[in-house]
Amino acid sequence: MKRSEPAIQVSIARKVFPAIADRPEHVVLGGVELTVERGSFVVLTGPSGCGKSTLLNIVAGLDDDYQGTVSFGKDTGKLSFMFQTPRLLPWRTVEENVLLVLDDDGPDAKARVAEILSRVGLSEAANAYPERLSVGMQRRAALARAFVIEPDVLLMDEPFVSLDDPSADSLRALLIELWNRRPTTVLFVTHDRIEAVMLATRLIRLGGNPASIVQDSGVDLSPDERLDREKVLAWRGRLFENA
Amino acid sequence: MALENNTVGTGRVGRGVVGSVLVGRLGWTLISFLSLLVLWAIVAAVLQSRLFPGPMEVGEKLASEAATGELGYNVGVTLARVAVSFFLAMFIGCAIGIALGCAKGADQFFDTWLIFFLNLPALVTIILCYVWFGLTEVAAILAVAINKIPNVAVTVREGARSLSRDLAEMATIYRFGTWKTLRHVTIPQLAPFFAAAARGGLALVWKIVLVVELLGRSNGVGHQLHIAFQLFDVPMILAYAIAFILVVQIIEIGVLQPLEARVNRWRR
Repeated sequence: MKRSEPAIQVSIARKVFPAIADRPEHVVLGGVELTVERGSFVVLTGPSGCGKSTLLNIVAGLDDDYQGTVSFGKDTGKLSFMFQTPRLLPWRTVEENVLLVLDDDGPDAKARVAEILSRVGLSEAANAYPERLSVGMQRRAALARAFVIEPDVLLMDEPFVSLDDPSADSLRALLIELWNRRPTTVLFVTHDRIEAVMLATRLIRLGGNPASIVQDSGVDLSPDERLDREKVLAWRGRLFENA
Repeated sequence: MALENNTVGTGRVGRGVVGSVLVGRLGWTLISFLSLLVLWAIVAAVLQSRLFPGPMEVGEKLASEAATGELGYNVGVTLARVAVSFFLAMFIGCAIGIALGCAKGADQFFDTWLIFFLNLPALVTIILCYVWFGLTEVAAILAVAINKIPNVAVTVREGARSLSRDLAEMATIYRFGTWKTLRHVTIPQLAPFFAAAARGGLALVWKIVLVVELLGRSNGVGHQLHIAFQLFDVPMILAYAIAFILVVQIIEIGVLQPLEARVNRWRR
């Protein structure tokens, strides 16, 4: 396995939403070429409705109605997806929800689940049903579920949207911690610029109609600097100066 | 004033109150039942007719039938027919319902068939089954199941149409596979629809089984009612009816309600 071999290669010539009722056909994406290196944390940003989530769904294989190709490198088959809503099974406990994504449910798997739940601070809620938990805790459970399979590629679609600031901040810190502990290739969609700078090692902006990549920059911040508000704001100013 | 009521209301939520509400409900059921019994006794006493026996006479008949073992045997036979045709109808009806709810093309094609069978009178199905397959046990069970399958299919189809796409995508991403998806994602979503179909189904199956027995079987509650009808033996008819109601209620309270509570325990 060569280190330089990319994890994901995306080449989308055209993605069209067909006409529905009185709304005409709409070309969402056009000419999106993207190569994601192994272990990079790529943040996709851009105005809402520009096609970021559509791009993510195509990469995830949930949407196969497009012109182009998406290919994954060797040993990058294991995929996790953290959605905008937690999408937990309400009729299964937190522990069962996390355990279900593993291939077996033996003692080893249970130990792994217990470990990841304690890391996200949900040990005490392991036997609770998701709808009895706060939204923030549900997202923690979704985060645990995404990480427990030790994914080769982690896709995230605005996973911290509509949370209050302290909850979102603590979840971001948790994500950074989990990612540092076990670096994996991440494709993260957000329209929050501060969040984008905090998390990204590479920041990609989509824009235009149909949307394509209008900016592609590296973000060179150390883990500690990412939690430093001043540094993050400075980088935001630099990255988005002509936005 | 409204505010005061609210405060009192919230303060009251607790185990003890739930308990006393239950006792209250049981108490009311008992009072309501006893008053029905008293009314019946009064009407019977006034009419003084052989064709309208009072509760005492029916109770004696119930006891004597139970003592000979006739009652237990016939109720048991009917119960077995109900169970077999009920599970058969649930299984086939659920399979059809899920298939139609998930495949739009099939749904459009078979919708007319479903409406046809839904509106086919139960008596017609029963007569045709006996004519075509003879007065056999298989024909009897089949007739009951055919009557019930369309209802189950329509109810479950409604559930299958409203399956969450979000959760299906989640199952795809995490590679649940067919069996895991069915067990943990699809079936729990359909559980309320299964429960509704089972409840409505049982009520219907009970009644149709009696008709099937009356027309073409030589045992079971329906057959006993048939004999009682020919002899104008009203105490016997009422004795079997009461035994039957009791069994249905025991199944409702002892099996269906606990099952429903268990299935719904995750709800807030």
